[in-house]
Amino acid sequence: MTIEESEPNSSSDHILGLIEESISYFPTFFDDPYDTGDFSGDSWWAHTQNLEQELINTNTSPNSFTTNTTTTTPTPTVSIVSDQSQLLDLQKKRKLPDDLNPKEPRKAPRKPTANKKGNKNSAANNNNAGNNKEGRWAEQLLNPCAAAITARNPSRVQHFLYVLHDLASLNGDANHRLAFHGLRALTHHLSTAPGTGFSSSTSGNNFGSSNPKFFRDSLIKFNDINPWFRIPNNVANTSILQILGEQTNQTNLHILDVGVSHGVQWPTLLEELTRLAGGPPPLVRLTVVSPPTNDTPFANGPPNYDFSSKLLGFAEKMNINLQINKLENFHLQNLNSQVINSSPEETLVICAQFRLHNLNHSNPDERTEFLRVLRNLQPKGVILSENNTDCSCGNCGDFATGFSRRVECLWRFLDSTSAAYKGRESDERRMMEAEAAKVLINVGEMNERKEKWCERMKSAGFKGELFGEETIDGAKALLRKYDGNWEIRVEEKDGCVGLWWKGQPVSFCSLWKMEFRV
Amino acid sequence: MAMVMDLDFSNFTYSGTTTTTSTTTTTSTDDGCNWNNWSPLIDWEALSGDQEDFHTLIDSMIDHNVVLQNSTWPNTQEEYNSLSPEYTIMSTDDETNSPDDFKGLRLIHLLMAAAEALGGGNNKCRELAKVILVRLKELVSPNDGTNMERLAAYFTDALEGLLNGVSGGGKHVLGGGHHYKDEHHQSDVLAAFQLLQDMSPYVKFGHFTANQAILEVVTHDKRVHIVDYDIMEGVQWASLMQALVSRKDGPPTPHLRITALSRAGSGRRSFSTVQETGRRLTAFAASIGQPFSFHQCRLDTDETFRPSSLKLVRGEALIINCMLHLPHFSYRAPDSITSFLSMSKTLNPRLITLVEEEIGSTSDDGGFVGRFMDSLHQYSAMYDSLEVGFPMQGRARALVERVFLGPQIAGSLARIYRSRADEEWCSWGKWLSEVGFQPMNISFANHCQAKLLLGLYNDGYRVEELSSNKLVLGWKSRRLLSASIWTCQDI
Repeated sequence: MTIEESEPNSSSDHILGLIEESISYFPTFFDDPYDTGDFSGDSWWAHTQNLEQELINTNTSPNSFTTNTTTTTPTPTVSIVSDQSQLLDLQKKRKLPDDLNPKEPRKAPRKPTANKKGNKNSAANNNNAGNNKEGRWAEQLLNPCAAAITARNPSRVQHFLYVLHDLASLNGDANHRLAFHGLRALTHHLSTAPGTGFSSSTSGNNFGSSNPKFFRDSLIKFNDINPWFRIPNNVANTSILQILGEQTNQTNLHILDVGVSHGVQWPTLLEELTRLAGGPPPLVRLTVVSPPTNDTPFANGPPNYDFSSKLLGFAEKMNINLQINKLENFHLQNLNSQVINSSPEETLVICAQFRLHNLNHSNPDERTEFLRVLRNLQPKGVILSENNTDCSCGNCGDFATGFSRRVECLWRFLDSTSAAYKGRESDERRMMEAEAAKVLINVGEMNERKEKWCERMKSAGFKGELFGEETIDGAKALLRKYDGNWEIRVEEKDGCVGLWWKGQPVSFCSLWKMEFRV
Repeated sequence: MAMVMDLDFSNFTYSGTTTTTSTTTTTSTDDGCNWNNWSPLIDWEALSGDQEDFHTLIDSMIDHNVVLQNSTWPNTQEEYNSLSPEYTIMSTDDETNSPDDFKGLRLIHLLMAAAEALGGGNNKCRELAKVILVRLKELVSPNDGTNMERLAAYFTDALEGLLNGVSGGGKHVLGGGHHYKDEHHQSDVLAAFQLLQDMSPYVKFGHFTANQAILEVVTHDKRVHIVDYDIMEGVQWASLMQALVSRKDGPPTPHLRITALSRAGSGRRSFSTVQETGRRLTAFAASIGQPFSFHQCRLDTDETFRPSSLKLVRGEALIINCMLHLPHFSYRAPDSITSFLSMSKTLNPRLITLVEEEIGSTSDDGGFVGRFMDSLHQYSAMYDSLEVGFPMQGRARALVERVFLGPQIAGSLARIYRSRADEEWCSWGKWLSEVGFQPMNISFANHCQAKLLLGLYNDGYRVEELSSNKLVLGWKSRRLLSASIWTCQDI
């Protein structure tokens, strides 16, 4: 058979004929086809669509697509003006410039409020996404991307960057936000030489770039709805009172503040001091150590933020003789008795919160060194609060390991913040989250677990002290106003107070006194 | 030559303006995180290419080192500065097609990530898959947009089907893929089929290559019996009859008997459809003087084939015709095909004609994701070829995509999703040779015919003789469909 004789050439007319013959209901499509030019208004189109619709409706094929995926439309930004005005009222009534509800620990248990109601709901909703990692999809992109960076696999890295880019958002649920901050950190990592500092101008609207008043209001508001700092602050304050009560004579109180509370912690304490049986100490000294600008989350406030005058004014109204000494841009290693001008007669209490993990923990071990410095200050007590998590530095693991730990920390913050703000968007929330997101890029994110910290404190010449009953009860009572996923766990072994979110440790507080070896 | 083009579209004046693809820019409302502000580290130069050639993008993704040039990773400080929010990454305004390519790339990455999330085998990443699919649905629609966007829309739907299918806990929910006939009006199906034939050579390549082989082995037979696994509208046999009656100088026209398999599973509907096809073929045979008889042979409820239900007549040349994976075909369960082919062997047929899809080499060890990407690659080539075939006929193309390709994509993905990585993934041709079928040589005439056929279509199509018994139809670099011929008798 030759090619010319083969059937395609001779039969195709009939194929058309066959089809046309057999189809009496052939669509008008072929009779009146492409000349209308009007796509949407075409009748056959609408017709066939209707038909299709009917068919789909009557057909229970298991394969017909059911689109039951919910769209994640970002929650519209609802301002929290009402809450704020309420706060302002409270402030006026009580004339508290900074902290809002100093009496809270005493008032427990509080009456159920609208806030608490919301907490219960969110607790119920969030429990599923909490411990099991199923709902935490952002980490399922961020961690493999970090792993691909470590494995030097550029095409995988690029793949994840693409996907993250499409899912990252500063609005929406904690996952979208985590994807946003995570992507930003990964891009930063990829685009900077190792060891290069991070300029805070690129990290969005965080503490450093905020208006001082907005910053303070936001921080107060945050402490009111999220116990992240509030509980450690509260534990520290009641512990200070406890230490003061243990002194035989009334002495001056000297607090060395190495923390991240930016002053909002102290009004409560001052108010408590006025309630002491023998009245407040003759002199209350507050030495605040602010670090040089770096990436430690929450450590640096806005450049022109100063809480001193307000706090002094408040103290005056409380009839407390308060002195504030600020050590700005201060490297912790330089601390000594002369710098803080301490004397053996006063009751020195060191309050170290979320700052010491920034000290090198090995090679060289600045951390133990600094704890010895603290010991040499001869304090009557040390309250140490830190993140209860593993180290993310380059010496303790590869980039992927460290990054996944950072991401995990930030997830807890974003998840708890999502509950705290009840999913509502606000500039305050964005600022707090952008500040927390520094954890992803901070080179000093050298956390250690609680046990390791305790070990270090002991080796530096401290001995662990149990928190007073009042401290623990007060903290537990205070926690009741927050989301139900928070809990306080007191370790019997070492007496530390742990703050947990959805069954995972977030931070711990510990109380130390000098060990006098015989 | 023009006869191959059954339907002459030059009659239709169509204003192409309605199909102008409008790529909407990302509706990202995030401050600081939209594409224009800062972006993954990509060598944009390397990615800008011909829009119609987007499947080459997938090519480059499968080839792991092409997309990201070494020079851009790790990045230097300078590049970091260029990623600052002020920098506009889409500054390549002079290249008007680059945003489309860019979006195409994004879509491919999202689809791949969704497949990865689904294919992990555990339920851990379901939420991730869901989120990605939600995003994809925001980005694409099957009815408009570029080729890649429409293709992505169908893949998104298919993945969503898998996601929802497994949520019930059982794999069986996925069933046998999509039976388009159940979802589309018959007139749509026929219109789409006609268009498909005109836009591309896929259908005819399969039919003509098989028919030519049949004609060559029955030259001297008085009775020919063809057992057809999936007769569809019977178009293949009209052209065979035409060829049989028009043989010059040859022997008298043989009696042709066709036994079409019908499915009991979908009830009377399938049976009556086949019956209708038979009625039409009988009428057609009568009109051209072809001695003809038509039979049906029902498959069992599980679509297995029992040769005992087949009526055989001594002296007939027995032909087994097995058309799989043509763009307009329904999905058939592998077990059913296995039973048909292995039982056919016991009948000692003279010729087995097999048409099936060509699976890419990358899918061998890639698990679900590898096979998924291969599938995406394959359909993207098909979409490209259809676009080139009918560049301005967006509506016609959309109908073909909706009626045939969309359901077929869903079926393909369901199939590769259910077959786990440990299962061997081999072509039916390979399977035939393993169970003892003999390859038969494709004739020179047959090969030339295929080339002639492709000559009627666009340049991108090509045919290769991959082995002596197999012709492969491809679009550009991608092999899509193969036709192979086999026998059980001694050659």
